[in-house]
Amino acid sequence: MTAVAPDAGTRGGRLGPRLRRAVVGWGFALPFTALFVVFLAGPVLASLLMSFTDLRSADVRNPFAVNVVGLDNYLRLFDDELFVRAAVNTALFVLLGVPLTMVAGLAAALGLNSGLTRLRGMFRVGYYLPVVTSIVAVAVVWRFLLQPDSGLVNSVLRLVGLDGPNWLGRTDLALPSLIVMAAWRNLGYQMVIFLAGLQAIPQHLYEAARIDGATRWQQFRYVTLPSLRPTLLFVGVIATIGYLQFFEEPLVMTRGGPLNSTLSVSYHIYNQFGFGNYGYASAMSYVLFVAIVGLSILWFRLLRSGEEVSR
Amino acid sequence: MKAWRRPGAAVLLAAVLTVTGCGRDEGAGQEAAAPVAEGKATGDITVWAMGTEGEKLSVLAADFMKENPDAKVNVTPIPWDGAHDKLATAIAGKQTPDVSLIGTTWMGEFAKTGGLDPTPADLIRKEDFYEGAWNTTVVDGTSYGVPWYVETRLFYVNKAVAARAGITTAPKTWEEFKSAIAAFKSKGGAKWGVNLQPPGSTIGSWQSVMPFVWQNGGEVARDGAFTLDSPQATEAYAYYRSFFVEGLAPKDLAQGALEPAFLKGEIAAFPSGPWHIGVLREQGGADRFELWQMPGRKSATSFVGGGDLAVFKDAKNRDGAWKFVAYLSRPDVQTKWYQTVSDLPAVKKGWDDPALSGDPLLSAFGRQLEDAKSPPAIATWEQVAAAIDGEVEKMAKAGAAPEDAAKAMQQRATSIGTGV
Amino acid sequence: MTAPTTSTRPTVAVPPATAAGPARPVRRRRDRVAVIVLHVVLVVGLLVMVGPFLWMALSSFKPEAEIWRVPATWWPERFTLANYRELFGRLDFPTYFFNSALVATLVTVGNLVFCSAVGYALTKLRFPGRRALFGLVLSSVMVPSMVTFVPLFVLIANLGLTNTYAALVLPFLAGALGAFLMRQFMFSIPDELIESARVDGAGELRIFVRIVLPLCRPALAALGILTFLANWNSFIWPLVVATTEDKYTLPVALALYSVGQNQTKFGLLLAGSVVVVLPVVVVFIVLQRHFVRGIATTGLK
Repeated sequence: MTAVAPDAGTRGGRLGPRLRRAVVGWGFALPFTALFVVFLAGPVLASLLMSFTDLRSADVRNPFAVNVVGLDNYLRLFDDELFVRAAVNTALFVLLGVPLTMVAGLAAALGLNSGLTRLRGMFRVGYYLPVVTSIVAVAVVWRFLLQPDSGLVNSVLRLVGLDGPNWLGRTDLALPSLIVMAAWRNLGYQMVIFLAGLQAIPQHLYEAARIDGATRWQQFRYVTLPSLRPTLLFVGVIATIGYLQFFEEPLVMTRGGPLNSTLSVSYHIYNQFGFGNYGYASAMSYVLFVAIVGLSILWFRLLRSGEEVSR
Repeated sequence: MKAWRRPGAAVLLAAVLTVTGCGRDEGAGQEAAAPVAEGKATGDITVWAMGTEGEKLSVLAADFMKENPDAKVNVTPIPWDGAHDKLATAIAGKQTPDVSLIGTTWMGEFAKTGGLDPTPADLIRKEDFYEGAWNTTVVDGTSYGVPWYVETRLFYVNKAVAARAGITTAPKTWEEFKSAIAAFKSKGGAKWGVNLQPPGSTIGSWQSVMPFVWQNGGEVARDGAFTLDSPQATEAYAYYRSFFVEGLAPKDLAQGALEPAFLKGEIAAFPSGPWHIGVLREQGGADRFELWQMPGRKSATSFVGGGDLAVFKDAKNRDGAWKFVAYLSRPDVQTKWYQTVSDLPAVKKGWDDPALSGDPLLSAFGRQLEDAKSPPAIATWEQVAAAIDGEVEKMAKAGAAPEDAAKAMQQRATSIGTGV
Repeated sequence: MTAPTTSTRPTVAVPPATAAGPARPVRRRRDRVAVIVLHVVLVVGLLVMVGPFLWMALSSFKPEAEIWRVPATWWPERFTLANYRELFGRLDFPTYFFNSALVATLVTVGNLVFCSAVGYALTKLRFPGRRALFGLVLSSVMVPSMVTFVPLFVLIANLGLTNTYAALVLPFLAGALGAFLMRQFMFSIPDELIESARVDGAGELRIFVRIVLPLCRPALAALGILTFLANWNSFIWPLVVATTEDKYTLPVALALYSVGQNQTKFGLLLAGSVVVVLPVVVVFIVLQRHFVRGIATTGLK
């Protein structure tokens, strides 16, 4: 099934260092791997097979009585007008959303980690609140904020003499509005990981830098950023996955509208699953998966050296 | 840990092996229902029902158990949110209850899985129910359930606006309706004459569009083929679209904004179901609105929705399940159900009680139920509906021509198919 | 709540497994301007971040019509407990709370143990299959979770686990995300530290428990916070695997009466959101105290 069977090293039968390493290594990895293979890798494999069939919800009681359609589901995607639109939208979500959220999350973590405030516990909780607040409640509030006539955003704009637009009603503004909302909502999540990552930076590096007369900016540029590479890699990959699977915000705010301008690939997949087109939706999921892998490889290329540095 | 690792691997292995040798069986066709044994119900009967229905069904279940002392009904309430997924996965995993409440527009999909038991004609009489409601259970000529409760749509009209506009009687035709709505705006002081479920911000704008199509003699599908681009349908889209083009209906409306705007007279009218009586009452508008029947053209048809009860093929207690369903369809039980949760009876005789027939608002809904339709119960309906919504949005918001919308709807619906 | 008093610049290396160093907040003169600027920025940010949450909490005390008032109100004009009364009156609250707490706690503890163990193996132990294992973990982080939903349910059903706590817990005990997170953090633990312990004759398990885990406190806290949140809020999976009410979790139960077939009761929904969010905030407050510098990374040169 998978290539993780712990058989390596048993050939000789001697308890050599190689075998010992294998036993110890897998000893630590096995509990995770066992659970993982059954409950994650198994269903993943099943769903991958599903994507090569025409399985629909009507077939679920006899899942094997379906036709194998090969790559048909994958080829159909490119004729699916909505999928193409969703792919373009998703690309925009990723391009704008990932940097915005990462910069904001890192800035919040740095501010709260600077040692300049005694209130950081309070700030941490406050900045984390949007992450824990239910999306439905968040949606109600944001719709109020963005209302064209009486919303807070446009009221503020009116104070400075500007006429605010219908943020969620215009096809060109709905998508950027959702990105800002998503960045607001996910900033706390990334802040938590950055906060943990910042603690792992060896303090003597800062001391050495200060002795060399480095400014705060120089310390950040030459100590914090390089040392934070493994964390940046994690956050970058996770943020990319998050925005490639962007889904909840359009679902509750715009339902993909107006005129599909906020329809994301994940939302389209969600709809297709809801319609019962399991085979087609699975194929779409794996196309999304390939996009995620591709972008993650970019992240690894960009930040890989960081792992060696800190090793 | 080993104990459950092995079956897991076996399932996967089976999947790998079988996927290579699979293929569809063609054509199931009509299914015959097996009879249900005589006598009282016995044994455990498990029932799923959504939301308030799920909470309050235990009241009726208690009565049922008094009449059938050897039966035990277990009701599990399910949230509406996620209910569709729960039913779909339960059928896939063969983990269904004996009976469940099913949304009327889901019947086609679930019946097609082969997971629903055909309705036994010896126990349930089709003639007892409103025709439009009964048709929600019929898939490929076989009925797979029983309508439990119904709702239909009327126009809620702000009395004060209507009085200012000088409209004293409900319009009977499309032309009268249109000029009444226009008068609401020009003379009645309303910002919008009517709210027609602007697409995008609400799902299911097809529920506002399809009644116009039906009124004009159109259909969603005829003889297994979609007819969304028929001349009758196209004309209906044009009528619907004209409310947006002429500025009589808002192109988008924030959630929760409808009721306050309606009570203030900013929005003069909107189509909705009986639940809005309660909503408007809660917001202090108890006697500030009136109800209009649907306007007519070839007919004055409205939309019928609600909930059906279905028994599953994997039910452990099939006979008991059908007996419970039959009990819930008794006119006196239907009336009691209305008194318990305000759900309107799907059984015509259930309306005989003065609590229903004597209430002017409710009896308006009762009258409309005689001429109300639902979309055909096809497996792909939810997807077709989304395609219709998408094209309706292009008409309402981007001003797309009705002919183009009709063509696009027909083309998208045809490529989706009816799931046969 | 009190701010944790941890030093940002401890000076001595103390043996592992003790808490952070003594409190010595930075108070240099040239920092004063920075402190003021920072606080202004942070407070403005805080208002932006907390505002919607506050509105949600306040609005849960409003009648339905006032929630939708345009323009929106902050303070309830007609303060009412009706939403909460209805919520608690109609729901068997202790059962659902217990289920949620049990499931979220078990999953969180499981993830802390399994993910840190596999993270240790992936970074500090050399064994055959290591790269393949990491590849597998990483790629499954990237598979959209929706796609495995139906197969996973069929698996659970075939194992005979529907409507058990096992079905709520087991599939999430070994999270790929957690393994990835722990692996990334363990890179920052110096190999020399572990090598010297090995030279001293310590076994791998001892090294892991006595040296590595204490150094991972911030990462474990982050993982704990994120895992607990994800599982506490989980809705669709618990709904699907629980077939009787007594196995419902809090989010499932809270959805029962707020979202109807044709209408949504937002008052109930907001009150439910407040109720469900409080335990997560408590967990965050408790765990965020562990965002303190690990000793080795401060003392080791």
